[in-house]
Amino acid sequence: MSWIRDDAGAAMVTTLVLAPLLLVVLAGVLQLGALRVAAARVRAAADLATLVAVNDQDDAELARSGTLRLAADAGDVAREYFARELELSAPLLERSATEIAAGADVAAYASAPAIDTRTGARYDRPTLRLVAEVPVRTPVFGALILRPVTVLHVVALSSPR
Amino acid sequence: MRRRTALLTSVLLFVCWSPALGREPDDDRRIDTPPPPVPDVGPAPYIAPPPEIYYVTDTYVADVVTANGPLTTYSTTTVHESTGSYARVLETVGTGVPSVYDGRAFNGRRALADGRLVAGTYYENYVRTDAGFEAVSIVFFQDDAELARLEAARPSNVPGPQATPARTAGPVASPCCAATRPVAPVRPAPTAAPARPIRPGISLLPAGASLAGLEVLRGRQVALWPRAFVDDREVAVSSWTVIRGEAGDALTLTGAGGVPFRTAWRRLAPPDSAFELVFRIEVDTPETGPRAALVAITVVVRSPALVE
Repeated sequence: MSWIRDDAGAAMVTTLVLAPLLLVVLAGVLQLGALRVAAARVRAAADLATLVAVNDQDDAELARSGTLRLAADAGDVAREYFARELELSAPLLERSATEIAAGADVAAYASAPAIDTRTGARYDRPTLRLVAEVPVRTPVFGALILRPVTVLHVVALSSPR
Repeated sequence: MRRRTALLTSVLLFVCWSPALGREPDDDRRIDTPPPPVPDVGPAPYIAPPPEIYYVTDTYVADVVTANGPLTTYSTTTVHESTGSYARVLETVGTGVPSVYDGRAFNGRRALADGRLVAGTYYENYVRTDAGFEAVSIVFFQDDAELARLEAARPSNVPGPQATPARTAGPVASPCCAATRPVAPVRPAPTAAPARPIRPGISLLPAGASLAGLEVLRGRQVALWPRAFVDDREVAVSSWTVIRGEAGDALTLTGAGGVPFRTAWRRLAPPDSAFELVFRIEVDTPETGPRAALVAITVVVRSPALVE
């Protein structure tokens, strides 16, 4: 048992102890990075969807009063574009992009001022608000006895300013 | 060994822990962040108008011709309001005296029944721009009167010049021969009907509502229709011109009545401000005669943006 007392033995034991630990930490960091990328993509998808919807205005109201007002289908436009943008991140998603977009809470406040019934926020301009829960696969977290699916909560607001 | 490894793993995870989503959008709303400091730009610098140019407080509305018995009065109605424009006196002319500004005023200069031009004053209108005071139009304020007589009262029985009283004066005696010739009863001279004020307007549709202000999205093409009304009845616009303001990407700043002003704005106005467009709208119908009016519309250019 002398080999265990020399330096070579100590290095082997240290490696055996720390290597799995380092691998676990590395995997967790990679998964965390992937989750952050997914969160950024989801947020960008929501932001873009609301911007596109706000860019669609009610032309009849504009001719009548000269003021901008969201189109009647602004909410549908936002939901459609949200699904389209989420499609680009489909491999990361636990559910289909269409299902996620369909479950999103989209509220179009066509004229201002308005009070958001969900958040209580006051909007001084026509505003479109999108709130969604987006389940993202996190297999490494699952292997570490954590959640295999992480739900991202995203909120996007847009208005003409 | 496994317990120790698990313990070390737990310790490392606890030490290296960080939230997957550190930013919670709802939390952002609850934070009372102070508003960004507004730079104190101070009041806009005052630019004194050049000599002889004064700030307009009474705006031209219409030329008025009224007949009261034998007396026909040529006057100008104004409204006490300020459109932000300036003016200066160009020339005051007497009855029948020609002026170098004849034909240059947008409202023209009338003639008396005998063909002589009415007396009055020419004014030049100015607007203040970044480059200074810019002349935009000339207007004639008529101020005259004439006394009509029966043609039969004239010795030669030939239509001739009728007596013209002094401006703003009441009925006066004939300048000559009144004592030696019998004076026949006078009758009103035929005069044009009093001109009714023209109400200009701008709309987004050929038959849409007139707008004083307009919100447009950046880069979105819009068509603005200059229109004119007399007694709430629309009259045909003969031509229009954008005389002031940020016209955006417009290809032309003038057009005929049936053509709208098409443009798009690719940049936003400075914060808390808007573009103001001033149109000069000209009408020339048998009902109105050649007339012109100015109308302004405020344009707020907006762009879709995220809200925090």
